[in-house]
Amino acid sequence: MERMGNLMWARMFGNIVPVLCGVLGVFISNLPFSILGDWLPSPLYALMPVYFWCLVRPDLMSPAWAFLIGVLHDVLSGGPPGICAASFVATYAVIDRQRDAFAGLPGLGALLGFATAALIASSASYVIFALYNWSLLPVSPYVKEFVVTAALYWPVLFALNWIHRNFVGPLRSEMF
Amino acid sequence: MGNGTWRIARARGGAHLPLVIVAALAVALILIGKAQSSLFDRARTNVVDWMRPALVATRAPIEGMSRWLGSIGEIFVVYQENLKLKEENARLRQWQNTAIVLNDRIKRYQLLLHAAPDPALSSVVARVIGRASHPFLQTMILDAGRQDGIKPGQAVVDQRGMIGRIFLTGERTSWVILLTDLNSRVPISIEPDTVQAIMAGDNTLEPAIEALSERIPLKPGAQVVSSGDGDILPAGIPIGIVVEDGGRYRVALFADQTTAQDVQILDFKQPLEHPPAASPKDLPVTAAGLPPVASPRVAAPPVLQPVVPAPQPVFKPASTPQNRNTPPADEEIDNDVPDTGNQ
Repeated sequence: MERMGNLMWARMFGNIVPVLCGVLGVFISNLPFSILGDWLPSPLYALMPVYFWCLVRPDLMSPAWAFLIGVLHDVLSGGPPGICAASFVATYAVIDRQRDAFAGLPGLGALLGFATAALIASSASYVIFALYNWSLLPVSPYVKEFVVTAALYWPVLFALNWIHRNFVGPLRSEMF
Repeated sequence: MGNGTWRIARARGGAHLPLVIVAALAVALILIGKAQSSLFDRARTNVVDWMRPALVATRAPIEGMSRWLGSIGEIFVVYQENLKLKEENARLRQWQNTAIVLNDRIKRYQLLLHAAPDPALSSVVARVIGRASHPFLQTMILDAGRQDGIKPGQAVVDQRGMIGRIFLTGERTSWVILLTDLNSRVPISIEPDTVQAIMAGDNTLEPAIEALSERIPLKPGAQVVSSGDGDILPAGIPIGIVVEDGGRYRVALFADQTTAQDVQILDFKQPLEHPPAASPKDLPVTAAGLPPVASPRVAAPPVLQPVVPAPQPVFKPASTPQNRNTPPADEEIDNDVPDTGNQ
């Protein structure tokens, strides 16, 4: 009975791990310290768990969670509300429709898959921000953000794989 | 490798909101945020106030790591750096003496002219506990808020110069819009000719100088300070120097926004400090043992002196105590009072 209780707690914890990783990504993006200084903007760390678990466990990373992680990003970054949230939802929509294509990419292809997602997020963010301010803005800051985000996915991916293997795991109904 | 090792889950569960509804919520949030930004600002400050302990806790190890990483390269240049600092220190001591002498002289001139002295600025020291460096967003979160007397609009400086200004305050945290942010506009004065202009952030490291007449040529290297126009910021806060960039003028900032960890928030809106009524002893003629031309009448009503060349300095009596000492709280400095410009 005690073992059943422990298993239940472990499963509950495993279920919130993807969201916690997204929240952690938001925190890291807004820490008062950057190795890259002012040369490059902070990467969209929060997008990485959203993308990863949207592919492998969409039941744990739903559109609503992607939206809420985006809202938290907007709150902590001090930007206009909803811009990051909308860009995350737009990215989620594309990944959701092309899940088979994205998830089937092996090796370097997987990185290119995330790069596509990062490009969608940055582009959506740019378009919404330009509409919000009703002016044509320089593209270079968003290009930088996209490049940094895509480049840093590789090391973060190892961490996400490890977390998924140890805490989350595959959906129980699909294990057999 | 990326996600190929994991099987793709198909099940989603029935309790999740459909994508269309979430997308509609996102659009609604943008529109509400545009129309009612104060609503979202209040929520934002509450969330950040609530998260303050976590932000403060993560600051210390990250700052330690930052210093450690930063010091790796410095180990090899410690000796040269030390020599440079000694030389700089000797030069600064000379400048300090000059500054003290000039400061005394300014005070004397202010006394002679009955000018209102620059308001003494009180300040609050705060730590940076959050920093956003995203495209078109250059903001900071500080660990001081309304409880510490912080108000929107106050200038934020580090030991080198101005960094930005407060745009949002919570109970225990506040947000700073940096000078490089796309939405930052600061009235500036370019020394020594006190050319007035606006410094506009454009997400580059060097904000642009705007609202400047084309006929006014600027010299690269000229110092830029806040002008104090619009009663938004105190005048004379050092900001940077003018640099030329392909026919446009920009400002190379003194303050380093990326490394600033402890900053000062200047309180400009405190009641003005009013000048004391001058006494004959304060005048240089009296100090030199010479009798004043006009006998001072402190309580007499203000008398305008004709603007004629006077053979000797003429003492203008102070205004009545009611006028000088008990003005309304929000009274501004008269326009005819010379602005010394510098703090």
